[in-house]
Amino acid sequence: MRYITFALAKGRLAKHTLSLLEQIGITCEEMKDEKTRKLIFVNEELGYRFFLSKATDVPTYVEMGAADIGVVGKDTILEAGRKLYEVLDLNVGKCRMCVAGPESAREKLNDGSLIRVASKYPRIAKDYFYNTKHQTVEIIKLNGSVELAPIVGLSEVIVDIVETGSTLKENGLKVLEEICPLSARVVVNEVSMKMEHERITKLVKDLKKIVSANQE
Amino acid sequence: MSERNFGQELLHTPGGVRDIYGAECASRLKIQQELHQVMISYGFRDIQTPTFEYFDIFSKEKGSVQSQAMFKFFDRGNNTLVLRPDITPAIARCVSKYDREEEMPIRLCYMGNTFVNTTPYKGKLQEVTQIGAELYNDTSSDADAEMVVLTIECLLKSGLKEFQLEIGHADLLRGLVEEAGFSEAEAAQLFELIESKNFFGVEELLDRLTVSEPLKEIFVSLSELQGSFDESEAFVKERTSNERVLKALDRLKKVEQIVAMYGYEQYITVDLSMLSNYSYYTGVIFRAYTYGNGEALASGGRYDGLVAQFGKDAPAIGAVIIVDQLMLALERQNLLVKEKLGGTLVVYPAGYREKAHHLAAKLRGSGKIVQLIRKSSGRELAQYQEYADRIGADDVILVQADTI
Repeated sequence: MRYITFALAKGRLAKHTLSLLEQIGITCEEMKDEKTRKLIFVNEELGYRFFLSKATDVPTYVEMGAADIGVVGKDTILEAGRKLYEVLDLNVGKCRMCVAGPESAREKLNDGSLIRVASKYPRIAKDYFYNTKHQTVEIIKLNGSVELAPIVGLSEVIVDIVETGSTLKENGLKVLEEICPLSARVVVNEVSMKMEHERITKLVKDLKKIVSANQE
Repeated sequence: MSERNFGQELLHTPGGVRDIYGAECASRLKIQQELHQVMISYGFRDIQTPTFEYFDIFSKEKGSVQSQAMFKFFDRGNNTLVLRPDITPAIARCVSKYDREEEMPIRLCYMGNTFVNTTPYKGKLQEVTQIGAELYNDTSSDADAEMVVLTIECLLKSGLKEFQLEIGHADLLRGLVEEAGFSEAEAAQLFELIESKNFFGVEELLDRLTVSEPLKEIFVSLSELQGSFDESEAFVKERTSNERVLKALDRLKKVEQIVAMYGYEQYITVDLSMLSNYSYYTGVIFRAYTYGNGEALASGGRYDGLVAQFGKDAPAIGAVIIVDQLMLALERQNLLVKEKLGGTLVVYPAGYREKAHHLAAKLRGSGKIVQLIRKSSGRELAQYQEYADRIGADDVILVQADTI
């Protein structure tokens, strides 16, 4: 039997995914050892392999076929713009991609002026402003603490993930426009889906049952 | 710059293009030849078109690649030229030009490099070799099946053993969308979701649109309508009577039966949710997959409207194999046969030049590969022997006084 390889985005999501997989009978004892320095974990019996990677790399591993299945946030999938099969919404890590800024910036979003937009997600920001709002903007790529940008005058607004909005509030910013809802997704490589159709379809179906059961 | 590094920067190729050399080059050429031979044996005749052409040949509905992804430049008359991203439209142009009046089937095959200006750092090649075949003036399901079978036989000939060829129909989803009466924007959104097999997204979208329950059931179940074709067919037929859809199903069934008659049913699966990558496809479409590479290694489909855009109203179906993807799969599956150079090294001291040349001519005349090397006085025979082993030559002959 060929291995089916999972790429999991490091952190909370990976833990959650492993517990979901455990519920459908796919376990990986090796991975529970917090002190391990191993990079790849194997369940020989069932023919599964797992590895953790940075979230932004998960779509890359899956598109190139280095991993068959990936679990990662919709934000990362949209930003990566890679060709993937997006087969299941895990309904966790729910949040929204938003345009945020001080109230005073609202006007500039409506009069079509050339504004600066800071974001960790330049692709999503560009797609939203150019193809949905049809507003020409200048996008500035940042790598973290994006909320700072409008405060120190680097940009008028930001495009970022908003979960509760409390960080925004504490810094005098608010959600001005909503771009799209986000949550964790299961993605599958195009070829793996064809070549391992039965195993992967069964796995996705089993996961789907658990996800809908957990919601009720 | 230190002297040691002088010239080193000249050794690089740009990202996305590469050298192919040594054993890899040899086995690649051999496989290309074998695939070509399969096509020739089906009666396809070779055709070569230019590496660059006018942009309009490949633009919009005629092409397989978006305008931004083409390598463009200008000629002296300021016309936009592109490095061909695809070969099919160029051959459609040729057929319209050279076989304008022909109404009987025309079979053409080609091999050439194509160029796509991809984003860097994504691990994609910008230049790949395509081997393909096009069959014009034959609308029959037999023609569809022949192209599928040709693709399967090419892949088998290359040494590949495990692969799946998925067959779908471009009109199936178009028919369903037409019946549902979706706007262009809605259809585009739906296709995008189906393309990424995002069926929870499809369900969400259909909840927002007005669509009849049976049609919705079809769209939502498309992902599961794989494998047993009879079941899928019955499922769809119970829920729609759209003529385009029924015709598409009928065609798929016939093609499946004919391919089975050739004895290749184990290699094909029908996927009703398959979307055509290119807007020029109008009928049966297919893609082949195997272990070891993340994307399809061969594809094809019927494009009855493309040639008409060049002025000849001819139906057509084509198939193409991406040699680079095929080689990658063969290598990853350990199926590549290492090509040995073989042949003989004829080493001669300057005094025996004439003898050596006679010997070489005789050996070459009998079909052998001969490398002539004038022996340098500073080198021993053993060194030539060692060199022959290194490059994979069969033997070394030292020309001497008694050599015949």
